[in-house]
Amino acid sequence: MNQSEMSRAKRYLETTKKMKEMLPRFFMRMMERKFSNEPVAWCMVGVPPELLKAFDLLFEWPENFGTMCASRQVAPLFIQEAENEGYSPELCSYVTNTMGYCKLHRERGEAPEESPLPGGMGTPAMLLGSGFVCEPRWKWFQSVATRYFGAPVYSTDPLAPPWDIDPHDPRIAEHYLTLLREDLAGQIEFLEKQTGKKLDIDNLREIMKRSHEALAYWRDTLALRKAIPSPMGSTDYFHAIIPQMYLVGDEDAVIFYREMYEEVKDRVERGVGVTEDEKYRLIWFGLPPWFNMGVFNYLESLGAVVVYESTYNVGDFFEVDLTDPLEAIVQRTWQRALKMHEYGAETMPELCNPAVFGGFSGSNLLSELVEQYNLNGALMHLTHSCRAVSFGEVHTRNRLAKMNVPSLIFESDMADPRFWSDAQIKTRLHAFLETIDEAKQGGRINDF
Amino acid sequence: MTSKRFLFGKTKFSTTENEKIIRELKKETNKPVIGYLCCFAPPEIIAAAGAIPYRITGLPGKDTSPADAYVEPYGCTYVRNILARAAEGQFDFLDGLVISHSCDMVQRLYGIWTYYHPLNFSYLFNVPHQLTPWAKNFFKRELGFFQEKIEQFTGQKTDPGCLNETINIYNQNRALVRQIYNLRKEESPLVEGSEVFDILMAAGVLPAEQYKDYLESALDKLKQRSPGPEKVPRIMVWGSIMDSPALFEIIEETGGKVVCDDTCIGFRTWDKDVPKSGNIYDDLTEHYFVNFQCPRTDRGPGVERFDYILDRAREYRVDGVVGYIISFCDPHKFDYPDLRDYLKKEGIPMVLIDDNYSFEPIESIKTRLEAFVEMF
Repeated sequence: MNQSEMSRAKRYLETTKKMKEMLPRFFMRMMERKFSNEPVAWCMVGVPPELLKAFDLLFEWPENFGTMCASRQVAPLFIQEAENEGYSPELCSYVTNTMGYCKLHRERGEAPEESPLPGGMGTPAMLLGSGFVCEPRWKWFQSVATRYFGAPVYSTDPLAPPWDIDPHDPRIAEHYLTLLREDLAGQIEFLEKQTGKKLDIDNLREIMKRSHEALAYWRDTLALRKAIPSPMGSTDYFHAIIPQMYLVGDEDAVIFYREMYEEVKDRVERGVGVTEDEKYRLIWFGLPPWFNMGVFNYLESLGAVVVYESTYNVGDFFEVDLTDPLEAIVQRTWQRALKMHEYGAETMPELCNPAVFGGFSGSNLLSELVEQYNLNGALMHLTHSCRAVSFGEVHTRNRLAKMNVPSLIFESDMADPRFWSDAQIKTRLHAFLETIDEAKQGGRINDF
Repeated sequence: MTSKRFLFGKTKFSTTENEKIIRELKKETNKPVIGYLCCFAPPEIIAAAGAIPYRITGLPGKDTSPADAYVEPYGCTYVRNILARAAEGQFDFLDGLVISHSCDMVQRLYGIWTYYHPLNFSYLFNVPHQLTPWAKNFFKRELGFFQEKIEQFTGQKTDPGCLNETINIYNQNRALVRQIYNLRKEESPLVEGSEVFDILMAAGVLPAEQYKDYLESALDKLKQRSPGPEKVPRIMVWGSIMDSPALFEIIEETGGKVVCDDTCIGFRTWDKDVPKSGNIYDDLTEHYFVNFQCPRTDRGPGVERFDYILDRAREYRVDGVVGYIISFCDPHKFDYPDLRDYLKKEGIPMVLIDDNYSFEPIESIKTRLEAFVEMF
């Protein structure tokens, strides 16, 4: 295994450091419930977590489990097991990580002890998928249910209009909104059947209120990174997405993101940056290398701070009326599609999947970001096993070049460290920072 | 008529040949040519609106580096191949482009292609992934939007009678293709897999009426053949899009006979008719969405979703299945382990050829297939 000295990451915020105490408490509660044989739902990003909370479901995120396995350096074991079954190394490494986990679970009759969480992800009583972001997500739970655990599956299908279709045309809007509404109704019917519980709409509304309150603090925190020097880097950013996944709708999450906002605001007011000498302000595209998050610290040691990430960025799509919480869930997805058009639909070819992340950012958004965050370079992580998120990086690089912002596309993976080449990546990062120096002095950037 | 130039067995239909034909057809008919990729948007609607539907195909092994200016190196080599050709202006005969949201890469090809090289008309035919009633309703509405857009482009309103008649001709062609497939159910197949492939490639370019003449003529000729005496290893091909006979020819060189397939230019397109329930759009939804067996569509968990492959393998008395998957083709790569194990349980071995859409190195592919065919 390619263990880099960058495999351990340093974080700067006291709030994210506190997660070390907060999350184990949460996972212990989860474990107790699992051991009481409560059913566990495996879910994907794109499934409204508020809905899971409203059904008081125990849930796990195999994607997030993949990131934890990667950062604890156990993903290669699971990935290898999946490859032995015939799953291609080209498939999403979050998926192959899950498949390897499932295989070992079936063989041993219990969660593999190598799992980073006690009891691993347990065994799923139901699988809640989503076609949000990418297509392998349709196949992932289908394969899990076919091959390993015969759990029932429901996957949502959040289609959005392609870039050259006007979403403001009322007929088009109705065409897509009808699908979103009926699909959500199907998801709720599935959940009611599987849990034997009726959805409590009032409870859902309250959960969503807290969820959106937390998201608003999170969004406002990210905006504080416009400050020079930037008060927060990527190691804190990527770590801080976890409460959003597990504690969403809880008061704990609201407190966490509020404290984070206050801490970052305080750092801005005191002029405390991630580095003492901030020379380069970068935007990050793609998924991070979870097994080598110290790459961000390495960059910081060279005076380069990532101040904006396209991935997991919350946006403000949650600013919707909560009177009818089900319609609010639909409108959140729809608002995302509308915003994407506003942000420069001509450059958003992936819009059929209304994902916030990926290599794409509309032209209008890109120029706004460059100006507001004082960006002088873009790092694009081309993930070998995730084409969905890295697709579009070349396209975005072309447009950034027109704004005289240089980009570096470097290859590796989000969970599979076999694709990481320490020396080569460091060399390329150094050379890239020199390119930024030249660009700052008026040098020309490759144009297309 | 252009098709008259082609006598079965004398000229092979291929990407290069089809592109020559379509240029001639365009000149002869003065109709706009609409290129389509993937099988969800019905060519019948394109034809009934007064345009010529043309199936876009690739050139295996072609240098894809012209695509590097727009897309990353990691990605379906088929899509990169098409995009490289678009970047080089090789599709200058197209007046319009219709791409279905089949898989991620094809969907995104649409955006990149139309952004950098816009055409006079383009449409992304959006397709849900599950087969729920609301997904079917979406598909049905999408048919309406698609028809409307294409009518706006051609300036010709679709007459329901004409659309119905076009579907009838396409159905007649489907029946004829199935008759040709049936010729391979015999102990000694009357037609080679590569020959059938040639016949199917013609469907991508010839207007339906001409294709019907062509199929009838081909069928007559084939029926006159005498069956060979020998029992041969009977192979089924399953997998990603295949628009070159290369794999079929390699299998034939090893002594095997491709007796049937489950590929998208192949039998997936022909195994069923568009039903005739009385509502054209329900029928097109049933055919192009529900019945079209692309693994990108979610048919739920369980190996039952492969039963149609097993049934076909039994119907054609298949000895072994050759899987062919293009690099980064996620839908097929996900299904492979489950399909392989299911077929094995049923006594049908499977071998996988993982290819970057070049069929190279051919020696290595051939060696693997020789060893596989020798088993039977």
